[in-house]
Amino acid sequence: MMQEEAYVRESTIQESTIQGNTIRKNIIQENARQWKGFLAHNINLDIRRYERNLKRFNRGGLFLFTFFLILALLPVLFAPYSPTERFMPYEAPSTAHLLGTNDIGNDILSELVYGARISMMVGFASACISTLIGLMIGLFSGYFRGTLDELLMGFTDVVLIIPKIPLIIILGAFLRPSIWTLILVLGLLSWESIARVVRSKTLQIREAGYVKSARCMGFSSVHIMASDIFPNLFHVLLPKFMLATASAMISEASLSFLGLGDISMKSWGIMLSFAFSRGGFIRDMWWWYLPPGICITLCVMSIALIGFGFEGKEKENGKRGVDAE
Amino acid sequence: MREGLKKVVRYAASFFLIVTLNFALPRLMPGDPVKNLIGEDVYVSEGVMEELRAGMGLDRPLYEQFTAYIGDLLRLDLGYSYHLHSPVADILRDRIGWTLLFVGVSVLLGTALGTLLGAYAGWKPETKANRLACCGFITLSCTPPYFLALLCLEIFAFKLGLFPFKGFYDVPTPGSIAHHMFLPVTVMALFSASRNFLIMRGSVIQEKGQLYALYARAKGLYDTSILFRHVIKNASLPIITLLALDFGFLFSGALFTEIVFSLNGMGTLIYDAIIGKDYPVLQGSFLVIALAVLLANMLADLLYEVADPRVRRPA
Repeated sequence: MMQEEAYVRESTIQESTIQGNTIRKNIIQENARQWKGFLAHNINLDIRRYERNLKRFNRGGLFLFTFFLILALLPVLFAPYSPTERFMPYEAPSTAHLLGTNDIGNDILSELVYGARISMMVGFASACISTLIGLMIGLFSGYFRGTLDELLMGFTDVVLIIPKIPLIIILGAFLRPSIWTLILVLGLLSWESIARVVRSKTLQIREAGYVKSARCMGFSSVHIMASDIFPNLFHVLLPKFMLATASAMISEASLSFLGLGDISMKSWGIMLSFAFSRGGFIRDMWWWYLPPGICITLCVMSIALIGFGFEGKEKENGKRGVDAE
Repeated sequence: MREGLKKVVRYAASFFLIVTLNFALPRLMPGDPVKNLIGEDVYVSEGVMEELRAGMGLDRPLYEQFTAYIGDLLRLDLGYSYHLHSPVADILRDRIGWTLLFVGVSVLLGTALGTLLGAYAGWKPETKANRLACCGFITLSCTPPYFLALLCLEIFAFKLGLFPFKGFYDVPTPGSIAHHMFLPVTVMALFSASRNFLIMRGSVIQEKGQLYALYARAKGLYDTSILFRHVIKNASLPIITLLALDFGFLFSGALFTEIVFSLNGMGTLIYDAIIGKDYPVLQGSFLVIALAVLLANMLADLLYEVADPRVRRPA
């Protein structure tokens, strides 16, 4: 009923050009649904379609994640000062410094905003590395099967048992702590679960009709893997990628806490570690240690929620057999 | 039988990889290998340095060094810490008992708590309390363990003064130990529960849709007995796998918790070793932790066979 009415009114707008502008405004303000219909109708932009895609993600997680992403991409907009600018040390929160200052007089809010980029970069870069390795190993062992599969999966199982964080601690202690070694080490050591998931999915897909027909037509294995199998792995990879990012961020924060982070690149983990080792706790400065910790938690949670949401939706799709063929 | 053999090979390979890593790291890393083997920032005179260089046999071929290293390991000789002036094996022996106690108690508690709550949350996922629990545990699993520990320390030990904030005990009585361990164990148990909770919840949601659950209901069983007598058995299988794979992760979480609570276990040992660049201690700790994780995985494999008859008698 409502929609019909709206369309009727819309058609009247197009006829009467005199009152057009004012009525159009009224319609836009009246109802969000009408507004979307209006957009779809007039400038060929169907928001509803995008919305349907958006629903596949967890809304809250997506919202938080966007916030942190903007923070990371455009820190200048949010940070009141430069993170290296010095003021009076150990200041309590005030209007000039919303979260006070730390032991060497840096504004904590600015540090926090600039830290977003570093923490998220470590997470995403190492997740990229591990996803790539996992994808390669899983794809090859799932597609070729046989001895190669046994070898690669055996290797995966062997690596899976080695405790990651103690190994990273040793590597971090031997190598000079820098953000790139951290990314590399985290990325190189967390691909096993991705490889397993990709393998099982590949085993499933390679029996599908389109892969068989591609093989009959004589396409090379590499081509089949790249253009037939990979696109279908994407929805398994995305949640895994998100979860890998989340766990890499936690690992980074933990390693920074041990003093194995890159001190020149102040991530949230390093802020927290400094607050612990340089007297933020003893002086009871909650504005120093709480914000970075909460930021890590929220950011990791937003990323993990997106991953979980996507995974859940995929499971539902799988039950209904949407992506079976 | 073939599966069993595969597993044995796999564990042997893991063991070999761990030992090799431990052997290769100080020799591969940039810098003087002697420095890497005894640790930086140590004051040793030139004469001692030369003596060590000769004694370690770094000029010999690699395989000879490797066999010598294996021999040392078999004699439980993990090297000598020039920072703490005692053999690494002795230092580790003092510390590991406490850490294992700490990890063991909290993992057991966490698993019990996480499994039970998770099973209940999966059984009735739509009630408000269970949704709340789910949100809470997701948040917990996304918090770095040491941040949680810091918060607890701040609130319960500093602000409210309910618990002591450092050490395992004042006087070595069970009461004092329990009092000191309460906070760290709670933190670790919550942390491990959060991971078990999420897995268990998903697994129960999946299992309760199976036909045997429907049949149990058709027989007229109460809700609780369907859950606890039928569903939970099948649903807890992923937990066993997770427990083994997670053991390393939880162990590292325990290290951080120990550092925050100044417990004299492996965590603080590693922390001090990192600050002092005491490589022998770091290596020894890595070896011991890796072996503990390996053992936990083997144990889980055995448990899995006990819990799931389908694994024992493959069709």
